[in-house]
Amino acid sequence: MNEQQQMLEDLANGLFAELGSAATMESSWSAIAEVSLEGLLLSEDRGGFGGTWEDALTVFRLAGYHALALPVAEAAVAAAIAGKAGKRGTVAAATEGRITGDRFSGTLRGVPWGHEAAYIVAPAPDGGAMIIDAADGQITAGTNIAGEPRDSVAFQDAVVQRSPADPFALMALARVAQIAGALDSALALSVSYVNERKQFGRPLAKFQAVQQALATFACEAAATNCAAMGAAQAMARGHAPFEIAAAKLRANRAVGTGTALAHQVHGAIGFTEEYQLHPLTRRLWAWRSEFGGDSHWSQQLGAPIIEAGAARFWPDLTALTG
Amino acid sequence: MRALIAEHVDGSDPRALANSWAVPNVAFSHALGAAGLIGMTWPKEYGGHDRSPLERYVVLEELLAAGAPVGAHWISDRQTGALLLRYGHEEEKRRWVPGMAEGKIYACIGLSEPNAGSDLASVRTTARRDGDDWIIEGQKVWTTNAHHAHVMIALVRSEPGSERNAGLSQFLIPMDAPGVTIRPIIDLTGGHDFNEVFFESVRLPGTALIGVEGDGWRQVTAELSLERSGPERYLSSTALLLQLIDYARTHPSDTLTALVARLAAETWTLRLMSASVANKIARGEDPALEATMVKDLGNTFEQAMPELVQAAVEVDPAGPEPLGLVLGHLLQLSPSFSLRGGTREILKGIIARGLGLR
Repeated sequence: MNEQQQMLEDLANGLFAELGSAATMESSWSAIAEVSLEGLLLSEDRGGFGGTWEDALTVFRLAGYHALALPVAEAAVAAAIAGKAGKRGTVAAATEGRITGDRFSGTLRGVPWGHEAAYIVAPAPDGGAMIIDAADGQITAGTNIAGEPRDSVAFQDAVVQRSPADPFALMALARVAQIAGALDSALALSVSYVNERKQFGRPLAKFQAVQQALATFACEAAATNCAAMGAAQAMARGHAPFEIAAAKLRANRAVGTGTALAHQVHGAIGFTEEYQLHPLTRRLWAWRSEFGGDSHWSQQLGAPIIEAGAARFWPDLTALTG
Repeated sequence: MRALIAEHVDGSDPRALANSWAVPNVAFSHALGAAGLIGMTWPKEYGGHDRSPLERYVVLEELLAAGAPVGAHWISDRQTGALLLRYGHEEEKRRWVPGMAEGKIYACIGLSEPNAGSDLASVRTTARRDGDDWIIEGQKVWTTNAHHAHVMIALVRSEPGSERNAGLSQFLIPMDAPGVTIRPIIDLTGGHDFNEVFFESVRLPGTALIGVEGDGWRQVTAELSLERSGPERYLSSTALLLQLIDYARTHPSDTLTALVARLAAETWTLRLMSASVANKIARGEDPALEATMVKDLGNTFEQAMPELVQAAVEVDPAGPEPLGLVLGHLLQLSPSFSLRGGTREILKGIIARGLGLR
């Protein structure tokens, strides 16, 4: 971690811990805007921070770690694609509709915190990204299973700008970073709980079955963090279709094992509304689907490997990182 | 290097490409040694090549991914040469290390005993002083490739009456020393990797003591990061993945595409993790906990692969299709993956301690 990433880590860690899962747009977004985190991935000449995807990993991972109920990753990815600082944008997961000339008619779905967003970046029906003024749309509020806003916004002949970027893949990478953070956080919570909670006269941590379960969890969390780092480094070099697909698949797998073990070692208390495990695990379950579940990324990753054939597998894999 | 591999890797039996770091081939080891690809990081003075650990890592990956038969020299290259260079007596270093770098001297590891498996600190084989010499008495078991090896690095009890991990020392034992007897143990596939090794009043010179008397436990555990995080801990089943990729080309289905993707994603992730540990070792750190995680994840992966492939394809694991042959071979070998080099339970215990649970 370089000096800049350490600075970002300190800043984001303090701020996100304070805001956490109880944050609301109305009361808390100003704290994010004040430190211009939405400009994280935007170049300096456009008024941004000029950060790399490795810097973004640091911040997005911590957003996941603290179950931050604010669209920091979405705003940063939107600003980077739209190339503008200032007003908050967001990124839609799916686009239904068509573009005629420079006008879009249709519906954007899975729009995180669409309400009061200035603009929306979405996958264009014919490839690349389109950027659209949110005020031109009709919003229908919705949420994911963790209660995070996921809206639908309908447009009729709305003017769009175009970008060659792939917002879906970039947001998948952002979700991998958030998953990596949330898994580490759920692991830390689990370790702390089993050290405190006593049954049969000793802490749960002293039972071998519990130790082995959390060791398994720790391996899954470490693998996800490593995959997130590998994909972010590749993206920082410019291009990461293999890495993002592989990282999302690996992270999704870890979500299953990690959430199951976190809840298992917590017992009934972890299943309650008051205990702070569910803001992590419910997000993890939601994020596993968002910006591509296993079937999507399997196809993206597996089809080119099979097409290239066995003789290319290892040479191509090693060529990714040199 | 790929040309060298192509010359020696015979594709006629695809099973030989699986788990290839357990497949000895003396001619190939000689060729690799002659090409300067063994003992790469050792000093030139001892026959090495003064290369960086990361250069060596890249070579290892290539060998394993290609299914090259590196079993004969694997252990001497991975850990014995380095151990001798670090702790060995000068005379022993000069006697053995150059031959290891040439791919002509092979080593085995004497750790397990009949009553010391996962509980390694229970070793009972003894070393007792006799003038300047040492006399070794006892028995090792599950010693891989003892029948091909020229030397064993054995962990034995050198302090009479000592208990657990105190009073242990490492010794270099030539396998042709009088009093050493090797007996084969045939595994469930009919293969012969394992052996029992008996020591009856085996006389060793004082120079055979490796490192500090009584410091054996610390020396052994310091080797474990090298032993546990290497690419051999997740690439044992790669030959099966390669067969699966070619099978999926001729039998396209979403199920196979998804399985190839899952296995590729895991291979990519494990490669990153393993390389990250190699980087830390190269910088002089000892990432013992991460190394343990790489082995546990890697073994779990290479062990799960045969079952996943069997569930996804209709192929006879007895052959004659190459995919079936490799599948059937790995199905039977795979239980050993989470036993060798530290059982899954021992690894998870180490990880749990790292988490602050023990």
